[in-house]
Amino acid sequence: MRRKQIRVCRECHRVVEGEACTICGTANLSEDWAGYLVVIDPEHSEIAQKLRITLPGRYALKVR
Amino acid sequence: MGMSEYQNKIYAIKTTAKQERTVADNIERLIREQSDIHVVAVIVPEELKGYVLVESPGSIARIEQLVEMIPHARAVVRGATALSEVEHFLVPKPVVSGITEGTIVEIIAGPFKGEKAVVKRIDVGKEEITVELYESMVPIPITVRGDSVRVVERSEEAG
Repeated sequence: MRRKQIRVCRECHRVVEGEACTICGTANLSEDWAGYLVVIDPEHSEIAQKLRITLPGRYALKVR
Repeated sequence: MGMSEYQNKIYAIKTTAKQERTVADNIERLIREQSDIHVVAVIVPEELKGYVLVESPGSIARIEQLVEMIPHARAVVRGATALSEVEHFLVPKPVVSGITEGTIVEIIAGPFKGEKAVVKRIDVGKEEITVELYESMVPIPITVRGDSVRVVERSEEAG
């Protein structure tokens, strides 16, 4: 299972590679998440605005 | 930019099973490499197996072009929808919703798999529920994840 190894930031829901979130700086990561969102152009995305995402990137929709 | 109204549409793309996230990642890569097709976001809802949703200001013809170039993307579902139709995917319902105190559940994962239990307490934030096994002589509370139970019978007040 590839998903089990991928971790996301509990603060901003961003998919994190490495030991800490590059945006939040926190090491509060979770391997238990569901739903996936790729934001390419946050300024023109209604979805990004709805979720208050301002940076492009890969996100989890739900983090436990 | 202000409170401008975007005219973005949501298109559904059929994908190979279990390749939803790969397709989303590949769409991102391709969109960044060219400038004819505009996609601003890709959603892969957990509940929607075999599809990804793309948010785009472009026409369906553009999305069809995109699908041609993405491995594991199979076809665009005819027609577009509005964001309001898919919003519920963005804020997933807590798995414990619909479970109340007194609900009879079957545990479907872990060491107590197959046992029936009565719900005693619900922690919505942690998405955990505390249950007592039905057939146990002594009531031992067990805390399990909300998604490791299946509702067998709802309590009276929940209908």
